[in-house]
Parts: sequence; structure tokens; C-alpha cells
Amino acid sequence: MGITGYYRLDARDATHACLLDDLVLLYHPRSGQTHMVISPVPEILDQMCIDERVSAADLHDRLAQRFDLGPRAAALPEIAAHLDALVALGLVRPA
Amino acid sequence: MSAALLVDTLRDPASVGGLDATGWNHLIAAARAERLIGTLAHRLAGIAVPSPVTPILADAVRDADREARQALWEADRCVDALRGTGVPTILLKGTAYVAAGLRAGQGRFIGDLDILVPRDAMPVAEKAMMAAGWEWVKPDPYDDAYYRQWMHELPPLIHRERDRMIDVHHTVLPLTARQTPDAAAMIADAVQITDGLYILSPEDRIIHSAAHMLADGDLQGGLRNLWDIYCLLPDVDPAALEARATRHGLLLHVRQAQRLAAAIYGDGARLTLWDRLVRARLLARNGWGQEVRKLLVFGFYVRSHWLRMPPMMLARHLWTKWRKGHRPQ
Amino acid sequence: MRHDLTLRIGPATFRIGSAWAGPIDQLARLYAAYPQVEGAIADFTVRLQPTSLARRWVRPSIFITGDHGLADAAPMSLSHGLLAAEMGMNLQMALGWRRHLLLHASSVEKDGRVLVMTGESGSGKSTLAALLGERGWRFMGDEFALLDLDSGAILPFPRLVSLKNRAIDVVEDAVGDVRMGPMLRATAKGDIRHMVPRADAVARMDEGGKPALLLFPRFGPDTDIRAVGQGEIFMRLTQASTNYVALGEPGFAALTRFVQSVPARAIDFPSGEAAFEMVDRLWGEVA
Repeated sequence: MGITGYYRLDARDATHACLLDDLVLLYHPRSGQTHMVISPVPEILDQMCIDERVSAADLHDRLAQRFDLGPRAAALPEIAAHLDALVALGLVRPA
Repeated sequence: MSAALLVDTLRDPASVGGLDATGWNHLIAAARAERLIGTLAHRLAGIAVPSPVTPILADAVRDADREARQALWEADRCVDALRGTGVPTILLKGTAYVAAGLRAGQGRFIGDLDILVPRDAMPVAEKAMMAAGWEWVKPDPYDDAYYRQWMHELPPLIHRERDRMIDVHHTVLPLTARQTPDAAAMIADAVQITDGLYILSPEDRIIHSAAHMLADGDLQGGLRNLWDIYCLLPDVDPAALEARATRHGLLLHVRQAQRLAAAIYGDGARLTLWDRLVRARLLARNGWGQEVRKLLVFGFYVRSHWLRMPPMMLARHLWTKWRKGHRPQ
Repeated sequence: MRHDLTLRIGPATFRIGSAWAGPIDQLARLYAAYPQVEGAIADFTVRLQPTSLARRWVRPSIFITGDHGLADAAPMSLSHGLLAAEMGMNLQMALGWRRHLLLHASSVEKDGRVLVMTGESGSGKSTLAALLGERGWRFMGDEFALLDLDSGAILPFPRLVSLKNRAIDVVEDAVGDVRMGPMLRATAKGDIRHMVPRADAVARMDEGGKPALLLFPRFGPDTDIRAVGQGEIFMRLTQASTNYVALGEPGFAALTRFVQSVPARAIDFPSGEAAFEMVDRLWGEVA
């Protein structure tokens, strides 16, 4: 995976979000786990559509339209790292 | 005897109409002790029960649903961990029944995830599991050497974040056991149920469960194992089951399991003297959920180890365990 | 089991069996004012059994178990039998209760509104709840607060209050000897003595209230009041709940609603008087 890989959001992995001050709780019914995340993780997940195959670069470009991400060369590996962490949690699938 | 009350109720749920409060207390204690409360709750669906029993059964159904969901999630994580290794995820026992939507899975208690992996793929599987966050439960050199040398599985692994255990089996019985089922044949005939998940063939499911209960274990949890077998039996052709059991060298065990399942949960069967001893052991529980007939229970504990190991090894093993404070219950 | 007793505390009914008469007799005396439910269908079975056959008579030691048990629970001396019975009931609640979100917290009520206090053992939450219960509040529980999944109310679980070490003298002075259990010396947690809650706490044990203030008390040398962020509150409450994970989504919904709607403060207090003053002030200003 990483910046060359593709990712996918599975409908069965949909989460319920709850905002507490400056962090977001994600309840994942399929595993029964509650994840506590901060920006930019909720924003990355917001940009993913169910079953759409996307790369870190695709998501970077979508996020860049709404947020100031700084230099692309630095932001891209960071987004890929977040995606890989989400894959490890089972919230996002490799595609 | 409350275990007898439990099996009578599973066989004939409408019989609870005759229970008083003491009877209900005994039934609930036995069902919890045998980890059959979820199964009992499903069997009693739609049957009138006293009002204090309703929430107890509803809790049991919800717990079983959650366990099923978590078991399936662990299976999903296992598939993910083995991605790219070519090793299939073959589910055993509770998770398999739930994943395939079998009647044996309804309300079933599920503890650890059990999977079957080809023996020559064990090192690859072990490495992949460790990379995905599983680690050894207890780094005890004696236990580790014992498992690797003699058992039919890796020492248990626990996931460091999710706190859930997995047992990776490479065959059905310990290598020290007298029967040697053909694990390769079981793997070859496994059935795919979803993307990435496999379960044993209908015959092998029963044979595995019978072997686990009668040739391997000390009959702890035997009533639940037998309930599984009782629910699995209608899915197979009896002749095909006999042929397959013969191939695995487990025909006598499978036949005994069939007799016991019919005697305890079904329409009855002719039992041998040995069957009667096993049945007595299975039903040895009082109205407080305690095991009774300690000598009989202990007899089965010693027997279960004797079946798996030559006598000198058994003596050494029990000594090592007891020095550490372990006692059969 | 040779001796037994059935008790109801709040929404839960316990059938307690014991190999010895002592623990059951003590329970019967201290729970005399609770609803009589002999012969009822119980939610849980608790067993106080000998660790081995010989241990019924020789240096008797109690193994605490029941519907839910811990295989490696340390045995207890028979002289601590009352504590063993209480621990047995707690164990069933902690491992088996599913009808509410269980918070390891004490709680007291006034005018239908509830003050919830949570913290580690030794934080003073038990003692504070016991003493507030003698000072115009209704005592609801010193160990578990039950959060209703639908209504968001806190329901009482007013079992005996378990007082440890220094707290024993303080509370004894306030309530008198009649409402105190036997002194249990040198348990794993030091000296322990149980206190029977006031009659109103028992009479109203089915009556919940809306949570109005959450405190994280800490008994120590300092006096301080601090705000606590919602993320931290959520973390601490999940750690203080034994069934949050088991309840799944309804537990998540109930706990997040609690965190978002109940004001919270951490308080450090050097004495009971200081704590009462802080509680009164915060109850007036924040709750």
C-alpha cells in the first residue's frame, strides 16, 4: 500500500461518529470497537465513498480543495500512513 | 441434577411450564456453567416464562449476538493477516458455525478463534500472525516446548490490541494421541463460505467435534460439544459420515457421539456401559452449577491426558502443572 | 450449598450459597431492611465454596465464584466471609450485568438530580458518598452507578458501603455503631468495615435520577478544582466501566450522551469538610 497503493471503504465497515471537544469517536459496529481519532483522520474518511477505489494521491487532491495541506511531497506520505493505520484497524480495506 | 434439567429443557423446551422458582434457578445456573445459556435462550424463544426470566434470556441472546459478531471480526482480521501468504483461513468450531449460519451456531458461546492451517504452512502463518499484532500469551518455556513438540496447535496467541485469542491448529488431535486423523484430507475438502473464509465439510465438522470431545478433552464443556454434534448430524448422510470417520480412524468416537447425542438431546439410543459413564460425567452438575462426583470428573481429567500421552510423559506433565499450583477443578 | 440467602439490591437479585453459616448470617443481619425475596428467581448465583474439601474445616479458605468467576481469584479467610460475599456479588455485576451501563462510581441524589463520583480505589468516592448520604443527600451507591441506556438516568445500587482503613472511624462517628458490620482486620485491602445505608436509600432503591454533575474526587494534601476535557472524561469512564464493550452500540450511545450532557470537574480535597464545601459550591454553580 503506501502512496502507490489503492484503498476502499467497505459498506460493512461504516462507523458512527461522535464529536467530543476536538476529537472524534468512531464506533465500528462490525468489531464493536470504539476508536478515538483526531484530524486529519475524520476528514480522510469523509472523502472516501463506499466501494470506490482511491489512492492516497486522489484523497490528497480532494482534501487540498478544502484544506491547506502544505507541500504535496510532505502531505502525501502522511495521508498514506494514516490510510495504512486505518487498514490495520480494519476501517479501510486495501483495494 | 441441574445438568439433567438443562438437557431435558433443550430437548423439550415446552417442559419449562412445570418449573417453579427453584427449578428456574437450577436451570439458569446449569446453563451458565455449561455455557449453554445462549442456546437455551434461543430454544425458549416464543415460550412463556416467568417475568424475572425474560431479561435474563434477553441478555443471553444479546451476549451471544455480540460474541458472534466479534468472532466474525476476528476471522476477518485473520484473513487480513494471512493476505498474500496463500494460506487459507479454515474456521473450526463456533466461529465456523456462526460464519456459515448453521443451527449449531445459534446462541453459541464462542471463546477463542480456532483455525486449521496445513502443517507445512505453520511457519508462514505464525510469522504473519505475529506481524499483524498477535503475540504469545505466556512465555513459559516448558509450556512452549510441550506445545510445539506434542500438541496439535501452536501455543495460544493473543492480539495485543484487541485482547482476543487465536488457536492455530495444524491437525485435529495432539500428535501423542492414538488416533491420527487425516488433517490434509480435511483441508483439501474444506468448503468456501465467503470471500476468504472456509469451513470443514459437513462430515468433517462432526468428526472434528467428536474427536475434540471424546478423544482429546476431559469432557469439560462436553454438553455444549454434544449439542453442536446433535445440531450438525442432520446435515450429513449417515453412510458418508461412517466412511469418512473410518478414513480418519475415528469411527468408534463418531458412533459414540451419535449415541450420546441421541440419548441426551434426541429420541434416545441404546447405551453401552462406557457411554453411561460418559453420560454421568456430562451430567455431573448440581443446582448451584457446581461439578459433583469429583472422583468421576478427576478420572476423566487423568484419562484425557492419558489418551494424549504415553504414561511417563503424563506423570511428568501433571507434576510440572501441579507444582505451579494447577489442579483439576 | 448448605447455607443460602436471596437478596435484591436495586434491579439485581442474587442467590448466595455458602459452605459455611457465618457469611450468610452476617448478610442476613446487615441486609435485614432490604426487600425480602426468599425463593425468588435470581439474576445471579454466587457461591462461597471451600478451595478444597479439607479447607471447609482446616484453616477454612473461601473460593469466591458463581455464574461468573475468575479462575485465578485469590482465596480468602473465612473470617472475611462477609467481604467475600460482597465481592462475589460485585463480581457477578461486573462480569454479567447487561441491563445498564455499569460505572465504577458512587452516587448521591438530591431533588431528583444525581451527583456521580468516580475514581480509583482510595480516591475517597465511597466515603464521600456515605457521608453525603448522612447530610441531606440520598445515598444511591458506593461501588456501581447504573446508567440507563434509554432514559440516560442513573439508577441506584445501594449495597452495603465498604469502608477502608481511615474512613472507618470517620463514618462510624457519623452514623453510630448499630449500622456498622463487623470489623474485618488485615484483608488484602487493609481493614474493612461495612456500613448499612440509611433507610431512605433502601426504601427508594428503585428510583433513579437525572445525572447533573460528574466529579473525579482525589483525597490528598491539595485543594483544587479543575475542568476536564470531554475526551478525557470518555476515556476515564470507559476504563471505569466493566460492561461498556459488552453493551456494544447502545453503550456507546449512552456514554457519549452522558459525557456531552453532564458537566464534570476534578476535585482534590484534604478533608471531608473541604470536600463538602466544594460539592455544595459546584452543585450550585455548575450542576
